[in-house]
Amino acid sequence: MELADVDLVNPDIWIEGVPHEAFRLLRRRAPVFWQEMPGHRGFWAITRYEDVVTVSKDAATFSSYRGGTILKDLPEEDLNNTRTIMLNMDPPQHSKYRKLVSQGFTPRMTARLEPRIREATSAILDEVAERGECDFVRDVAAELPLIVIAELVGVPLEDRHKVFEWSNRLIGFDDPEFGGSENDGKMAAMEMWMYANQLAEERKKAPRDDLVSVLMTGEVDGEKLSEMEFDSFFLLLAVAGNETTRNLISGGMLALIEHPDERRKLIDNPQLVPTGIEEMLRWVSPVSQFRRTATRDTEIRGQKIREGDKVVVYYQSANRDEDVFPDPYRFDVARSPNNHLAFGIGEHFCLGANLARLEIRVMFEEILRRLPDIELAGPVRRLRSNFINGVKEMPVRFTPTRKRAAG
Amino acid sequence: MKVIVDYDRCEANAVCMKICPEVFEVREDDNLYLLVEEPDESLRPKVEEAVRRCPRQALSIKD
Repeated sequence: MELADVDLVNPDIWIEGVPHEAFRLLRRRAPVFWQEMPGHRGFWAITRYEDVVTVSKDAATFSSYRGGTILKDLPEEDLNNTRTIMLNMDPPQHSKYRKLVSQGFTPRMTARLEPRIREATSAILDEVAERGECDFVRDVAAELPLIVIAELVGVPLEDRHKVFEWSNRLIGFDDPEFGGSENDGKMAAMEMWMYANQLAEERKKAPRDDLVSVLMTGEVDGEKLSEMEFDSFFLLLAVAGNETTRNLISGGMLALIEHPDERRKLIDNPQLVPTGIEEMLRWVSPVSQFRRTATRDTEIRGQKIREGDKVVVYYQSANRDEDVFPDPYRFDVARSPNNHLAFGIGEHFCLGANLARLEIRVMFEEILRRLPDIELAGPVRRLRSNFINGVKEMPVRFTPTRKRAAG
Repeated sequence: MKVIVDYDRCEANAVCMKICPEVFEVREDDNLYLLVEEPDESLRPKVEEAVRRCPRQALSIKD
């Protein structure tokens, strides 16, 4: 492969897998690489660990607000709408909004959820255990984050598959199977907002111990959230905690299937699960990239960046950086240290990181114990997306086991 | 060396505590406590690593 062959934009390339060969070439030969983008302005692709950290930590120079955080340049009106989502804010505004909900996501608060997460996980595995086969994505990986986020946010459990469908359409705008257009993505967002408003109405009458109720009463600079702000919060919480965790569980399972010796180590030594899940996070990195926009003329690694230029950080590449991770293409469940950037770093560090870690740990503890011999039973179908490292379908089989004893 | 915590940014991820428990302690109440505000120079490499690795950029050193 030559630099001229590198294409990080075309979603078709990502159907085959994360373009690791291109990333390796870029890290070595062009760590600040100008990537053309048909129909849009090109951008600087940042692929080394150190540079991803530098850009992520310098929100004043590399703004999430100015041009949003997706690759495509949006018309001003759409851009303005996306700016009500925390993801597309800069400090100090971002910090104020984040504070509204951040206390619900601390290690102590999430740890309180462990018994319920374990119960939900056991119930999910009960559903498939006797069948001996299932679609791992839909039947296992998707279910846990949906149940957890539904409970946390305050979506009635029976509505959780609506959230599944909306978030597929929002994230899958490049995949024909999930709507496949920006228009459909917008439609999904609108349906979600209407749903959120309905939920808000109900909570106004009868507040509960959930995030919808927190948002209804929360204030930023002495003002209650507007309807738009509330809806945006709802959308972010429902989608961000959902798609990413699902794909980490699917991708992590696939890594274990493809590395049977490493899976054996986890089965024999469950105390390795914590380092094992960090390795899955490094290995999969469910979010491929986020975009920033330069607020002034600057330089990265000697390359001049002009004010207004798009700068895109690639987490999967940072997490395979040879300068940071010895033998980076080796999946090693005991890897330590493992300071991966799967959750990002700095102002926008994943708010749900503790919750995600807990869900993933419990899920794999239970899978390794109850379904230790899961193997592929058909082709793995990947999401057509240059944004999310996603798996749409993963048929698996395993030795059927009994449900938990009733009671 | 003086350790500064920006409590508006800290979200109790406790990365600092794992790197340098001599200085940082996240307690049951989800707050970060500095066990020593001006740690000995011998701890500088660990404190610097904690500053660098804080996911929320909540730590800094003042000399």
